[in-house]
Amino acid sequence: MDTLVQQIINGLSLGSVYALIAVGYSLVYSILLFSNFSHGGFIVIGGYICYYTLAAMGNNIWLSGFTAVMGAGLIAVLVEFLAYKPIRERTSITLYLLIASMGMSIVIENIFVVTVGGRFRALPPVIPTNPVNFFGLATTSAFDLLSLVTAIVFLAALQLFLTKTKWGLAIRAASYDLRTSGLMGVNVNRLISIVFFVAGFLAAVGGIFLSVRYTLFPQLGGITIKAFVAAVIGGLGSLPGAVLGSLILGLAEMLTAGFISSQLRDIVVFGMLIATLLWRPSGLLGKQISEKV
Amino acid sequence: MSGYVEGIIILLCVNGIAALGVCLLTGFTGIFSLGHAGYMAIGAYTTAIMTLRYGIHWLPAVLAGGLIAMTVSYLIGVPTLKLMGDYYAIASIGLGEAIRLVLENGGNFTRGARGYPGIENFTTLPIAGGFFLVMAVLMFFLVRSNFGRAFKACRDDYIAASLLGFNTARYRVFSLAISGFYCGVAGALMAGFLTFIQPVMFDSGKSTELVAVVVFGGLGSLSGSLLGTMVLTLVTELFRPISQYRMLIYGIILVIIMVARPEGIMGQHELSPRYIKSLFSRKHRTAKATEGGSGL
Repeated sequence: MDTLVQQIINGLSLGSVYALIAVGYSLVYSILLFSNFSHGGFIVIGGYICYYTLAAMGNNIWLSGFTAVMGAGLIAVLVEFLAYKPIRERTSITLYLLIASMGMSIVIENIFVVTVGGRFRALPPVIPTNPVNFFGLATTSAFDLLSLVTAIVFLAALQLFLTKTKWGLAIRAASYDLRTSGLMGVNVNRLISIVFFVAGFLAAVGGIFLSVRYTLFPQLGGITIKAFVAAVIGGLGSLPGAVLGSLILGLAEMLTAGFISSQLRDIVVFGMLIATLLWRPSGLLGKQISEKV
Repeated sequence: MSGYVEGIIILLCVNGIAALGVCLLTGFTGIFSLGHAGYMAIGAYTTAIMTLRYGIHWLPAVLAGGLIAMTVSYLIGVPTLKLMGDYYAIASIGLGEAIRLVLENGGNFTRGARGYPGIENFTTLPIAGGFFLVMAVLMFFLVRSNFGRAFKACRDDYIAASLLGFNTARYRVFSLAISGFYCGVAGALMAGFLTFIQPVMFDSGKSTELVAVVVFGGLGSLSGSLLGTMVLTLVTELFRPISQYRMLIYGIILVIIMVARPEGIMGQHELSPRYIKSLFSRKHRTAKATEGGSGL
């Protein structure tokens, strides 16, 4: 019972970090309809900015966390401007964007390999990881609870942004039809920049927590593959779906690791992906796609 | 010929076979896959296990590797190819990774993550070249046959194709199975060339490379894919002295190609005397202007 509660908290905590990543990925997908594989790069960028600003500014997590999320957001906008904007202005074929994003993810990963080297780095102990007693039910790490709370705060903020602000309205409109919302007077280029900024911002928040959990290295971005899986399980392009899929995935992963074997956790993840696609191709909360002829 | 040059040529032939397979799927049928390294892994491991564990001659083992990869891709294709667009692309990442993880956790049968050493070095230059020539010629015939036209119809407008009576889902699965066969054979030959295989050799990076080669060369052009294989294999060899920058340069080239010339080196054309001649005449420009988008 103790282990079960503990693994559930661990799973929710891991799932909530996946959710931060998956939501940004899903947001970009819902506007531009392509899988942005360079999303993992934003995680790594956030992690490294946080690592170096912590070293430079004397272990102030608030300041360096802020620099990291803003920096990753701006770099995400820059990536869009350099690599995707020229393509999407010329053609409507999203396959080209997909390949460019694969190239971008290789570029970002290897910029870090070349400049700071491939070794594993641990963030200084700015986020508490000491064990805490969870209402007498289980002993869990403060870090797990903290990442769960942070993720909920940021996801709630995103929800507020999307429902209460003018730009949020524009983004929701554009996720139905980018062209038409452009015709209605939305500045499409600025909207896409904002979407990429939000995606990079949330990915960096996830990146900071992931680099505390798994240490920091250039290939850390590979973990986004789990967030992609979560987004597909929940339904591509649906934000509540991305959150739900991420939580399911985090729980499945941690429960497998805790009760069966930690080697099998990745097989379970990909098995769940295949099972979902067979059973409900458009995901748990995805829009039922009907083809327009 | 020095052993190094011979090795590069063998590698080109092996990568070329895999590229032909992916080109049929992505270039001619319009299905985007990010998991084809998994089928190469199936081919490689089948050959390794059959030759080493059961002492079977390499030739049936290579063919069996291709056939098993084909069977697996067929079984996977039947349910998943009902999905259109990015769903299959992401499903294929999951499938590729699942195949790799199963091999890694296969215990004594696949020898896990440490890899499978001591495979017979059967992929010599004549064998790799022979396989490559036969499979390339077959692929050129396939693309020009009724089947090839049906694949292209599924790519260009699958609704129209199904209204004309083609069972588009079945053609898509066929295309996947054939490309699985090509990748399986390429993986088997790779095992015979390197004499040592490891699950990590067939990770998502390898799958990315397979797709990159095809897009780089030109979607819908077999000779373009082969040209793309040649360029990218040679680029990785040329930059071997500055190996830490190699992947960086590779990624930058990929992005620049997509930004500057998204249709790839060859576009949809084949490298034929007629195409080369048309490059120098005015007809080429007018033909290009009327051709329009690739409609993928």
